[in-house]
Amino acid sequence: MIKKKGWITLASLSLVLSSMLAACGSNNSANGGDTGTPGAASTAAATTAATDSAKSNEKVEISISTWGASDELAVFKEVLKGFEAANPNIKVKLLHIPNDYPTKMNTMISGGTAPDVLFVSDGDFPRWVKQGAFLDIQDRVEKSDKIDVNDMWETGLNRYKFDGNKTGTGDFYALPKDIGPTVMYYNKEIFDKYGVSYPSADKPMTWDEALAMWQKLTVDTNNDGKTDIYGSGPIWWEGYVWSNGGKILSDDRKEFTLNQPEGAEALQHIYDLTNKYKVVPDARVLQSMNDGQMFEAGKLATITAGRWMVPTYRKLKFDWDVAPIPAAKEQNEWNTGWSGSVGFGINAKTKHPDEAFKLVEYFAGTEGQTKMTELGFQIPNFKSMSNTDVFLQKGQKPEHAEVFINAAKGEGPGMWTYLPNGKWSDTLNQALGTYWKGTQSAQDFLNDLKPKVDAAIKQGNPELFK
Amino acid sequence: MINSTSAGAAKALSIKPTKKRFKKQMLWGYLFVAPPFIGMAIFLLYPLLSSLYISFSKYDFSTSPQFIGADNYTRMLFHDPLIWKTLGNTFYAALGVPIGMAVSLFIALLLNQKIKGRNFFRLMFFLPTICSVVAITLMWQWIFNSDYGLLNYFLSLLHIQGPAWLTDEHWSMPAMIIQGVWGGLGVNIILYLSSLGNVPTQLYEAAKVDGAGAWVRFRHITLPGISPITFFILVTSLIGALQDFTRFIIMTAGGPNYSTTTIVYYLYSQAFQYSDMGFASAIAWFVAFIIMIITLINFVASRKWVHYN
Repeated sequence: MIKKKGWITLASLSLVLSSMLAACGSNNSANGGDTGTPGAASTAAATTAATDSAKSNEKVEISISTWGASDELAVFKEVLKGFEAANPNIKVKLLHIPNDYPTKMNTMISGGTAPDVLFVSDGDFPRWVKQGAFLDIQDRVEKSDKIDVNDMWETGLNRYKFDGNKTGTGDFYALPKDIGPTVMYYNKEIFDKYGVSYPSADKPMTWDEALAMWQKLTVDTNNDGKTDIYGSGPIWWEGYVWSNGGKILSDDRKEFTLNQPEGAEALQHIYDLTNKYKVVPDARVLQSMNDGQMFEAGKLATITAGRWMVPTYRKLKFDWDVAPIPAAKEQNEWNTGWSGSVGFGINAKTKHPDEAFKLVEYFAGTEGQTKMTELGFQIPNFKSMSNTDVFLQKGQKPEHAEVFINAAKGEGPGMWTYLPNGKWSDTLNQALGTYWKGTQSAQDFLNDLKPKVDAAIKQGNPELFK
Repeated sequence: MINSTSAGAAKALSIKPTKKRFKKQMLWGYLFVAPPFIGMAIFLLYPLLSSLYISFSKYDFSTSPQFIGADNYTRMLFHDPLIWKTLGNTFYAALGVPIGMAVSLFIALLLNQKIKGRNFFRLMFFLPTICSVVAITLMWQWIFNSDYGLLNYFLSLLHIQGPAWLTDEHWSMPAMIIQGVWGGLGVNIILYLSSLGNVPTQLYEAAKVDGAGAWVRFRHITLPGISPITFFILVTSLIGALQDFTRFIIMTAGGPNYSTTTIVYYLYSQAFQYSDMGFASAIAWFVAFIIMIITLINFVASRKWVHYN
C-alpha cells in the first residue's frame, strides 16, 4: 500500500519537475514568440542527410530575424516569397521580434541560438561584430555577381566594415538593407502664408541664409507674447559639426576632437538658434509636444527628419517638400546630417553559410531592393536604381525626391557606429543634455568634457590602443 | 538516485527492520524536498557562483570568460568616476525611504480612526501598488511636465513658478523621490494599519487614566508597539531602494547628466548596452556587499529601538 502510494507520488513529483524544467527550456528558446528556436535541430538533421546525397534537390531551411512593424513586415514577407520562388531548395523561416530586439538578440547570440541571417541596426553592428557574431563575407561579396559595390552608396557600405577594432575600414561583415539620409522637411503652406521663398533643392543653404529664413517664419500669431510657429525644429548637431569642417572623433577614433574650434563653433551656433535668436523651440516647449507632433500640427515651418518619415507625412493635410539641411558655408558636399541604415549579417555559427549569403544577396541585391523601394519604404542601395522612377515615384510627395539621393551620397553614419563600446557617446550625450540648457560657452564646455570622453573611449575600447 | 535505492535495497538485507524503515522515510523526505532544492541549485546557486567567477574575468558574451584577477574591482573602485556618482545617486534616492515611512505612518494613523469612507480611502491608497510600473511612470511624466504638468499647475495657483522637474539636473532626483514615496505608500500603509490594530488597547486606557496626552501616548505606546513593523519596512524598503532602477529607465533614462542613474541602472547598462559582463558582475557584488553591510548595521541598531513584546 505504502509502496504503491509512494510510486504514485514519485511519478507525480517527477512529472511536476520535468514540466517545470521544460517550461524554462521553452521560455529560453522561444525568445521570438511563436517561432521557437531557429531550426537548429531540423537543419542539423538536414546537413547530415545532405552530406551523402545530391545537394541540388535537398531542402535546406534557414532562418532570418527582423523587428519591422506590421506594414514593413508585409513587404518583408513579399520579398521572402520571391526568394523562395527563385530558390526552391531553400526554405526561409522568419523570426519576428517586434520589441526589445537588441536585448533579445544579445541573448540569442551569446546562447548560440541566433538565426542564420540577422537584421542589425548600424548602431548594434559594432558591438556584435566585435563579439564575433557575424561571418566575414568579404570574399563572397567580391565574388558575387548580384552585388556591385561600385554602384552602392559608399557611406552605407562602409559602416558594415570592421578591422578588428573599429568600423569603417576592413572586411565586410554585413550588407546594408537600406540607407536613410536625413533632410529638412518644410511645410509649404507656412512659407506661402508669410511670403517666404522655398529653400533650394539643389544645394544646402548657408547657416546665415537659413537663420534669416527661420526668423521670417517664427511668428506669434495671436500676439500673446508666446511664439506659436517656430522657424525650425531642433537641430541635429552632428551634421552642423561636419559641414563646418569639424569631427567628433579623430580618424583613428582614438581621440575626442569635437572641442576643436570647428566643432565648438557649430555647437555654439545651435545653442544660439534656440537661446539667442529663438527660432528653435527650447526643451520646455518640446516637453509638451515633440517636434514631430509640432510639425504635423503646423507649429514648425521646417523640421529635420529621416527618409523614414515619408510614408507618415504622405498622410498629412498640408503640402510639404524636402530640402537639404543647411551647411556652415557654401558647399556641395551635402555632409550636413547623418544617415541611418539597417544591415543584414550572417551568423558566424551558421551551418548554411552559402544559403544564408544567397538570402542576403537577394535582399541587398536588385530583386529585393526593387520590391522594398516600390513600396515606399526606403532608398535603394544602388545609385543607378535611385535615379529611376522605382524610387523617385513622380506624382507622389515629395516633389524633390532627388534631395534624398544627394543626401545619401554625402551624409555619413552617426557616431553610434564608430566603436564597439558606446560608453563614450553616452558620456557625450548625457553632458550635452546639460549644455543645451546651461549657460556655459561651447568651447569651455567641450574643453572640460574632452578628458572624460577620451577616458571612456580608452576604457571601453582598449584594443584600439594596443 | 536509482543507484542509491538499489544500494539501499542491498544493504537493507543486513539491517534491522526499524532502521530500514527510518532509512526509507529519509529517502522519501529527500525526494520531497528535491524539486525546490534542485530548482534553487539551478536557478539561484549556479547563477550566483557564475556571476562571482565572471566578476573576476573579462566576458562580453562572445568567447568564454577569461580570468583577469581583481582587475574589474580595481577599475571599479579607483578608475571609474561614474560608480561613485551613481552610488551617491542611489543613496540620495534612498532618502525617499524615511520620508515614505513617515508619510505612510501618518496616513495609517488617520485611517485607523473611525471615519466615514475609511475603506474607500484604504483602497485609494493601495491602488498604486497593483498598477503596472510602466503605466504609473508614464502618468508621473505628465504630472512632472514643466509646462502643462499637474504639479506645476498647482504650484502656479500658489504663484510659484515650478521647476523643469525631469529635465533639470537639480530637480530630477527630488522628482523621482516624490514618485517613489507615492508608489511605496500602499504596502506600507497596510502593514502599519495591521500593526496599529495589534497594540493592546488596555495600555492606552491605562495611560489615559494616568493623564497622558495624545502625543505622549503616541510617543510611548504606539511607536514602541509598532516598532517591529517599522523595522521590517525599513530593512525591506532600503534593500528595494538600493536596487531600484526600472522607473528610472522609463522616466528619465538616467539623465540629465547622469543625475538619476542609480548604481543598478549603471550595472544594467554595463551589462546590456556595453556587453561588459565582467565589470557589471563586479558592480553587482559590490552592491550586494553594500546592502549586506547596511542591513547588518540595521539589525545591530535595531536592538536599541525595536521591542518584541
